[in-house]
Amino acid sequence: MKTWLTHHLQALRATLTQMLATPFSSLFTLFAIGITLSLPAGMAVMLDNATQVASNLPNPNEISIYMDDNATPADIKKLQTTLSTRTDIAHTQFVDKQTALTQISQQLGLTRLVNELPKNPLPDAWIITPADTDAQHITQLVSTLQKFPHVALVQADYKWSQRLDAILQLGHDLFTLLAGILAVALAAITSNTIRLQISTRHAEIEVSRLIGATDRYIRRPFLYFGALQGLLGGMIAWGVVFVSTQLLTPQVQHLATLYATTFSIQPLSLMQSAALLLISTALGWIGAYFAVSRSLARIEKR
Amino acid sequence: MIGLEKVSKRYPNGHDALKDITLEIETGEMVFLTGHSGAGKSTLIKLIAAIERPTSGTIYVNNHQLGKMRRAAIPYLRRNMGLVFQDHKLLFDRSVMQNVLLPLEIAGFTHHDAHARARAALDKVGLLAREKAYPIALSGGEQQRLCIARAVVSRPALLLADEPTGNLDNEYATDIMLMFKAFHQAGTTIVISTHDQAAIKSGAGRIVHLDHGKIIS
Repeated sequence: MKTWLTHHLQALRATLTQMLATPFSSLFTLFAIGITLSLPAGMAVMLDNATQVASNLPNPNEISIYMDDNATPADIKKLQTTLSTRTDIAHTQFVDKQTALTQISQQLGLTRLVNELPKNPLPDAWIITPADTDAQHITQLVSTLQKFPHVALVQADYKWSQRLDAILQLGHDLFTLLAGILAVALAAITSNTIRLQISTRHAEIEVSRLIGATDRYIRRPFLYFGALQGLLGGMIAWGVVFVSTQLLTPQVQHLATLYATTFSIQPLSLMQSAALLLISTALGWIGAYFAVSRSLARIEKR
Repeated sequence: MIGLEKVSKRYPNGHDALKDITLEIETGEMVFLTGHSGAGKSTLIKLIAAIERPTSGTIYVNNHQLGKMRRAAIPYLRRNMGLVFQDHKLLFDRSVMQNVLLPLEIAGFTHHDAHARARAALDKVGLLAREKAYPIALSGGEQQRLCIARAVVSRPALLLADEPTGNLDNEYATDIMLMFKAFHQAGTTIVISTHDQAAIKSGAGRIVHLDHGKIIS
């Protein structure tokens, strides 16, 4: 146990010494890793925020039914009964034309204009939530509802919501693809720096071998180096994403005000930050492992 | 301690370095390997240290048959032997002290124990005053003594030295040989390849003479 601890402390000390010995090239490598990682991390933030916006939008599966002008309260009542007995409708809400007009005038601040209208231009309407939300069922339901008496128009927003979902899904796929490619790039960057290090420490490796160093002992400082480099690179990536979200926030809030809503960019969550650092550390370690194993095998052959 | 049975070594270029060598070295013995250059002295030492593998035959060190050892077990075997090289194989980016500490770090000694041992080893070879110097600042003889200090610092039961006095003046060479004798008297088994006639004639140890890869006497 004591030996094990001593070995690890030695390796850690050697790693830090090594990094501080060449501060500029270490820093450049760290920035290369950090910026590489900030791309997928930043994309994750963008997607998360887009998903957030999408989920705050009114329920896209709602169907609006507008009555025609001739509908009497009795007609409305009859339709109410029909709708509430249907099993393919989960929820119904009736909005009479007067309520609708009041709501609109308040929302848009058009009270004066509305007061001057000779006649309420809005129809009575229903907002219903279908039990099944897939496209086929909704289409079927819409065409059925269309045929009820005094129904002027049936409007379903599902197409728009499905397009949005598809775009978000495409975003997620792109993210996965980009993250995968950049993960390989990161392992390659690490692998390369480690290879350079090994070539400058060739004598040390050879001598250590001759006086009883195990492969594990020889590998350890390089693995530490790779992992630490990955971790620090991950921290830089986190910083890049954080600063970027901070820089974009004022503009996004301005935009949100123009749309009469409030919205602020959420930075990386605690879990995402932890995952970012963990993955970057792991990738650094993997890159180092490959480089050392290859180099050791090559030294062995001589 | 060491046993070789019908050991041959042929290098990939077709050169037969050793032919059918059978040799037994007892614990506590001091053996001089002599012979012209190219007679196979270095090869024999490398085979015992498991740096190279024989083409045929079996080698025992410390009751372990080298050919049957797993690759991962060889480092532990090497920790029981001290190696002294003609070209020293010192690390020039580390101080004298750090060079001697290396085997102890590898073996997992704590900082405190390692430093105490390293000082003792440097004292034995007369380099304690230069512990902070770098190998480049040492003379050839001092570099060789540093190499010996590194070899004995983990108190191995077996010391293998390949031409330890090869590049040295007579005076330094006598010095070094005296050191080996002192370690021998302390009970270490020692195998030295050399063509230092003075050392051989001192009669301190058994002489194994190699000629073109064969033992003559």
